[in-house]
Amino acid sequence: MPAPGPSPVAARRRALHLGGGALWLFIARRIGQAVVVLFCVATVAFLVVRMAGDPVKAMLPENATLAQEQALRHLLGLDKPLIEQYTSYLWGLLHLDFGQSLFFHEPALDIILGRLPATLQLSAAALVFALVVSIPAGIISAVRRGRATDSSVMGVVLIGQSTPAFFVGIVLILVFSVELKWLPASGIGGFSHLILPAITLGLYSMAMIARLLRSSLIDVLSEDHIRTARAKGLSPSKVILTNGLRNASLPVVTIVGLEIGSLLGGAILTETVFSWPGVGRLTVEAVTNRDYPLMQATVLFLAVVFVVVNLVVDILYAFLDPRVRLS
Amino acid sequence: MSSGQVDRRGFLRLTGTGVAGLAAYGLLAACGGGDDGAGGGASSGAAAGSGAAGASAGASAGAGGSWDGNLRVSMSVDVTSLDPQKQGDMPSVSVANNIFDFLVTRDADNKLAPGIATEWSSPDEKTWRFKIRKGVKFHNGEPCDANAVAYSINRLKDPATKSPIVELTYVVSAKAVDDYTVDFEMSAPDPIIPAKLTLFGGVIVPPQYIKDKGDAGFAENPVGTGPFKFVSRQQDQQIVLEANPDYWGTKTAVKKLTFLIQPNPATAIAALQSGEVDIVTSLTTDAAAQLGDGAGASVKIVPGVREYYVAMNTLVDGPLANKDVRIALNHAVDVPTIIKTIMGGAATRSATLLPEPVFGFDPSIKPFEYDPDKAKSMLADAGYPDGFSTKLSSSSVTKDVVQAIAGQLEQVGVKCEVNVVDAGAFKQLLVSGDPQAIGPMYLSGNTGWTLDGESYLQSTIRSNRRQSLWHNKDADALVDIEETSLDSDKRKDAFAQLQQMFVDEAPYIYLYYASNVYAISDTIDWTIPTTGSLAMASAKGK
Repeated sequence: MPAPGPSPVAARRRALHLGGGALWLFIARRIGQAVVVLFCVATVAFLVVRMAGDPVKAMLPENATLAQEQALRHLLGLDKPLIEQYTSYLWGLLHLDFGQSLFFHEPALDIILGRLPATLQLSAAALVFALVVSIPAGIISAVRRGRATDSSVMGVVLIGQSTPAFFVGIVLILVFSVELKWLPASGIGGFSHLILPAITLGLYSMAMIARLLRSSLIDVLSEDHIRTARAKGLSPSKVILTNGLRNASLPVVTIVGLEIGSLLGGAILTETVFSWPGVGRLTVEAVTNRDYPLMQATVLFLAVVFVVVNLVVDILYAFLDPRVRLS
Repeated sequence: MSSGQVDRRGFLRLTGTGVAGLAAYGLLAACGGGDDGAGGGASSGAAAGSGAAGASAGASAGAGGSWDGNLRVSMSVDVTSLDPQKQGDMPSVSVANNIFDFLVTRDADNKLAPGIATEWSSPDEKTWRFKIRKGVKFHNGEPCDANAVAYSINRLKDPATKSPIVELTYVVSAKAVDDYTVDFEMSAPDPIIPAKLTLFGGVIVPPQYIKDKGDAGFAENPVGTGPFKFVSRQQDQQIVLEANPDYWGTKTAVKKLTFLIQPNPATAIAALQSGEVDIVTSLTTDAAAQLGDGAGASVKIVPGVREYYVAMNTLVDGPLANKDVRIALNHAVDVPTIIKTIMGGAATRSATLLPEPVFGFDPSIKPFEYDPDKAKSMLADAGYPDGFSTKLSSSSVTKDVVQAIAGQLEQVGVKCEVNVVDAGAFKQLLVSGDPQAIGPMYLSGNTGWTLDGESYLQSTIRSNRRQSLWHNKDADALVDIEETSLDSDKRKDAFAQLQQMFVDEAPYIYLYYASNVYAISDTIDWTIPTTGSLAMASAKGK
């Protein structure tokens, strides 16, 4: 009896069994590329940060004299030749030393690591919210394509994607904190503090994933192997959940990976609205203060996040679709 | 809004919310930028929001009356460091003000008053002598004596501290003469050293504790002599303090003091409405308008110390080199209307560069009248009957004010190309020392927390100063007197003459000094410091 269509599951099993070495080679190549990318980012960050303005001018009050400015610049080592600053910066990076923040007088890496738990907590909660809502929404819309359920679900999703975080956040605060007094308006704390910011932050990802899943699922459901599966008499829900969803998940995995990256680094508005002490606000502060070491460290941190997430997605992809490894 | 029906006020509040939400964008660019030293007290807002601005809430709607001594204060930016000698911004010194004491302080009337120093004098031009209060102890039990005071000043001056505090330029070092007397050795006379010791540079830190814990340990767990002890801090989140039961001065009614960092004003107001905070600081009137009536809290607008002006480059040939043109421009700007419509009333008209609360202010000098017809005829007499074109720059924080000024100048024929720059970048231009970089005219401000006229003139007036765009030998001589004379009458006289020259020569367009805007729960009573500092020890329940 012929298999119902070209089953990627069977192909994956075969590839994993036969091509373990190829997979490791693929991973090693990807890691090598990541190191090159990070080196380039480190160099660009070093240069761009120095074009953004003078931290000494930002630190001192308006009425400081030129002599005071020069004295502080010298103390901070910012009057050294650029090439000397660059080499000591790279040397520090090799030792995981990102330098000392000019404003906070603490190692830049420690400051970022200090914000990381808050950022991880919020990002994870936002992602969970996004997935829990978007997957059923995407499936329902795809199955009920073109009907009233589809347009109403997608309408709500579209509103979620097009409403900016600061507006959603403030509306949620006014309703749930000020009027109903159910949830706190700001700050980090227990689970109750997490709900409103996670919804606000996760809304955009939720909408994006739901829409992508819908269109991807619609494409897959029109393919021959699905028709074959249906013809075999499998129940509709089984066809959708196993044959359909598995094949529709490839583009979704890519997007979820990228969304993890932007959730980790791009929550600036949500963090501002909910007074959440995350990496996003820290990045803004570093830029405002022209705090070179902290700016470099936050840029590198975000680069590492994106590189790692992409690496993981690529590897995951190779597992899901063995054809990727051949290219 | 519990009825579900959106009335006019509800609508205003919601739209106000939108405006405040948008302000989050501005905040991303402006927070901590240093443009607003007075705790962000100076700002502008949409004229639409100002209708309800300044409205005090009426009867308390909440369960007012009993207050448990737990005070929660919202501020928009976090401190840069809890080591009070490694920061130079108002939010940081505001928090330090509660943990630490300063050599000198100010009383309720803004007069200099004893702090850790009980009396001070200047025996000669190169010496300031301070008598130190007896029996004061740091929170760890370490004695606060002449040794600690001398150590504090010398630590500030030590290059290794990398302190951004600049006021003690002329202090060479401090020396303990006996257990309770300290002498400052000066490289040049500085008549306002006591005023300069009321914040930033005058902070007293514990020598032994810093020696034991190191600089990093001290910043992590600061110990001072102040009315509150440090408990904990989560960066960009909160700083928790508790009352110091052994405080040498008036003990505070506050038991626990929490500073919450809330960068978005709309969130801070919502937190006040939902009872999560008691006082919201560094507001604008349009953000405060969101509060509305019956919220159990009210808006307080208190005159501050940040003075705003439009600088003009008089040093290049052209219309601005002509003093009649400059006087005409002063007549062309309608400052009272700007204060009313754009500032929501949260500012006071200035005659020249000095605000009323500071030493040297001369009340006999009156502001220029708004008179566009006179401005036009003066411009015509000066050879500019059709006006002229120029460029007017400003920080994004004052973008609405600068637009209004440009519109008013256009009414008399002066066409301004308005150039609004992000607050951080604007400060870079301002202190670049290159007048070409910032353009012929710009709107800027000075914060004089010393409450002395010197602070308002020091970087702009004397010809050799970086931001000087008007050179006048007589003014230079007068600045020398007010900056170096130990005779306060002579200084006052020099300030009076300078202010008269500012009117006669009009090197600037004079605007206003901004007020600080707070929203305070009706259960709390707090004496708000003029400097905009957040010294909370005076707060108590009503």
